[in-house]
Amino acid sequence: MKHLNEVELIEHYYEESAGPADCERHLKACAACAKHYAELRRDLDGVKPLATPVRGEDYGQQVWQSIRGSLPVYEKPKPSWIQLWRPLGWAAACALLVAVAFVAGRHWERKQTPSVAVSADPQARQRVVVVVLGDHLDRSERLLVELNHAGSNDMSAMPLRDEARELLANNRLVRQSAIQAGDLNVEASLDRLERLLVELANQPDEPSEVDLNRLRQEMNTDGLLFDIRILRSRVRARPLEPQDAPKATKGVSL
Amino acid sequence: MEESDDSIRRAILSGEKDAYKVLVARYSQVVFRVAYRITGNESDAEEAVQEAFLRGYQKLAHFEGRSSMATWFYRIAANCALDIVSRRRPETQGRLAEENDPERGELQLADIKAGPDRLLLSREIEAARQAAMSGLTPTERTAFVLRHMEDRSTEEIAATLNIAPNSAKQAVFRAVQKLRRQLAPLWINT
Repeated sequence: MKHLNEVELIEHYYEESAGPADCERHLKACAACAKHYAELRRDLDGVKPLATPVRGEDYGQQVWQSIRGSLPVYEKPKPSWIQLWRPLGWAAACALLVAVAFVAGRHWERKQTPSVAVSADPQARQRVVVVVLGDHLDRSERLLVELNHAGSNDMSAMPLRDEARELLANNRLVRQSAIQAGDLNVEASLDRLERLLVELANQPDEPSEVDLNRLRQEMNTDGLLFDIRILRSRVRARPLEPQDAPKATKGVSL
Repeated sequence: MEESDDSIRRAILSGEKDAYKVLVARYSQVVFRVAYRITGNESDAEEAVQEAFLRGYQKLAHFEGRSSMATWFYRIAANCALDIVSRRRPETQGRLAEENDPERGELQLADIKAGPDRLLLSREIEAARQAAMSGLTPTERTAFVLRHMEDRSTEEIAATLNIAPNSAKQAVFRAVQKLRRQLAPLWINT
């Protein structure tokens, strides 16, 4: 049988033993350890806490008066510049995050979307321009024809106005391409067409016959229709003609 | 409604020095008790109380709230008392004298064989216990007081004295062993 040493007995006395049940069992079974433990208890039980002298209810006040003069006053903490600038810092960080996200998004979008304009093959690019231009000229021609015949009966100008609005955006792109290609004749025709499209797009819901007649006269829609037809026929006849050669035609060219 | 310790602390740190008076009044009795038990006399205990509240005020900005403010003051007081015991120990350690005088650390040890009066004997035994307590090192004495008289756990003692739990436990063991050795002759003669 392994006896309990003094340290274990002290631990048991202060109820900090790792195995109190085991200690208790051993003390019941072992007379020698029980005797040692009884002596330890007698010794420690005999050491009573000192009787603390009574202090009155005003003791705290007395202590306070004795130390009060030695206590400095804490200064109210002033907000540091870091605290002042913290909201602005957050705002700047957010703005930076948004900017980075925007730029990254744009970059990603460009990578994902194949662009006609950045095609490396000049012939392919020219082909695309011709197709787009041909389609645009077709739709413009139809619009002009409808405009020239509108107003004499119950035909509403609403479809014309909607079509003009759609064509207006396309016309600007095509005209921009003509400017970049240096084709001033095409650009001039498209410029005239654009002015007409702007007028049409801003017509009231139900334009009167007088309004339409005035528009036709002011914008010379007959002459514009003629130019458009010539342009369209040339686009169809020579779709891949290089742009570099000087044009001999007067009026429109490609 | 009683103002919380934390709101008082914030008020003090905002410049309201007098708010500290409430904390002093709230904890002065507890602080005095532990200081008295560790130092063993009133004047040292009074000094420890003042020192504890001065230190507490100075460290108030560093109070992190990991323990209650009561525990925090208690630990400061125990350390102040320990410091005082450490400073005064060499010249006041259990000197024998004609009369018992705890203020001067003087003890009268009775001739046990000569005193048949049990009451007188018990006083003499108490004096002998005080002499035995004086024989402990300041750390042993403080650890023993906190363990035996204040019923603090080993972990609390370690945190109070800023030592490892095992060191706190060893300090208590050494104190008990020394006390028993010092007091053993009394039991033989009684």
